[in-house]
Amino acid sequence: MAKPTQLKEEGNRRFQAGDYVMAEALYSQALIADPSNPALYTNRAMARLKLSQWDSAVADCTACLALAPSNIKAHYSLSQAHLALRAYDDAVTHALEAHALSAKAADKSLGTITAHVLKCKKERWDDAEKRRVREVSALEREVMELLRREREVAVREAGGDGLGGDALQREVDEEWEDKMLKMREVFEKARPVEEQKRREVPDWAIDDISFGVMVDPVITKTGKSYERASIVEHLRRQPTDPLTREPLYAAELRPNLDLKQACEEFLEENGWAADW
Amino acid sequence: MSAGFAAKRLGKELQKISTSLPPGIELVTAENFEEWLLDIKVLDSNPLYENETYRLKFRFGSTYPIEPPEVVFIQLPDRPIPIHPHVYSNGIICLDLLGQQGWSPVQNVESICMSLQSMLTGNSKNERPPGDEDFVRANRQRPKDIQFYYHDNDV
Repeated sequence: MAKPTQLKEEGNRRFQAGDYVMAEALYSQALIADPSNPALYTNRAMARLKLSQWDSAVADCTACLALAPSNIKAHYSLSQAHLALRAYDDAVTHALEAHALSAKAADKSLGTITAHVLKCKKERWDDAEKRRVREVSALEREVMELLRREREVAVREAGGDGLGGDALQREVDEEWEDKMLKMREVFEKARPVEEQKRREVPDWAIDDISFGVMVDPVITKTGKSYERASIVEHLRRQPTDPLTREPLYAAELRPNLDLKQACEEFLEENGWAADW
Repeated sequence: MSAGFAAKRLGKELQKISTSLPPGIELVTAENFEEWLLDIKVLDSNPLYENETYRLKFRFGSTYPIEPPEVVFIQLPDRPIPIHPHVYSNGIICLDLLGQQGWSPVQNVESICMSLQSMLTGNSKNERPPGDEDFVRANRQRPKDIQFYYHDNDV
């Protein structure tokens, strides 16, 4: 039988070539021989993500995290699987975990993970919004139906005693027509159309490099804040402050915690802005 | 950097400049996130540039805005190449801001256009860069790979 490392390398080659079925099988074989290697679990999880096998990808990531609790890839893959399974809170939690670990390790994946955090938040917000709209429109149908029935009863009762019934019926009918119209206006006002108009992202929440809403703002010596992933990428190319061109090193960046919290709060209320 | 980083940022820039641009700058075409065309005018009465419109071609790589875009003037029947000691007659621009050293990722298409407007406005020399003819004949490099010698940074 081949050695686990050979199986893993062959699996990686198959993965690179896009043959995820074969890659998954090879990683599985390797795991039989070496069940305590965290990298084998994350590799198989990535193959399983490609194959849309979300539940088994979750199992692999969980197994990996039991062995190596701060494995960036495991948190990242786990978040992707949860997102596909619409477990939005779990997706956000593990995306943030992966982000924190990646930032700490100055890992190359920071940009990708930052984008993924925003994507998770956006999808979570979209889902909540969709549910809210669905609930409101179901309620609207129900209320209108109740009113329509009440109206029928009221009109019928008004015409009951025959004398001058027609005029009274008309009066009651008009009264109800008015009530229903007003009710419809109330629902109309509550529709999210209003929100669309106000959809502007405040400048303080925007990173001047990526133009996205900041997930992890860091502040420079000159007092300007940027998204960590963006500024780190720039400093890798050129260690200067983007505004003043004075020397600046990644180690000199400090987290801007108040701004981070403000951005988080803004996104909670305005999830659409995550991919603005 | 993650895939689509440049496209995402350019999408946002486009959204902004399609609704408003400073005077003298106009978006001509931006059908993709690789190449945009813009027109610029010099607004004051500098006789070298009065009543002329110049066409700029922006080319963006996948690493924009970490790396600068490539920006050149292009010539059309009604769009000449402006005369300037930092603009070669083939449209290549020698501007610190567009070079590897002078670029900063907080710059953007709009700010580049404004810098070029003011580079023209501030000029009074009716001349091309020294060695223009030789450069235009011999150059086969992409503008951003050229190591310009910034001979007179005060222009």
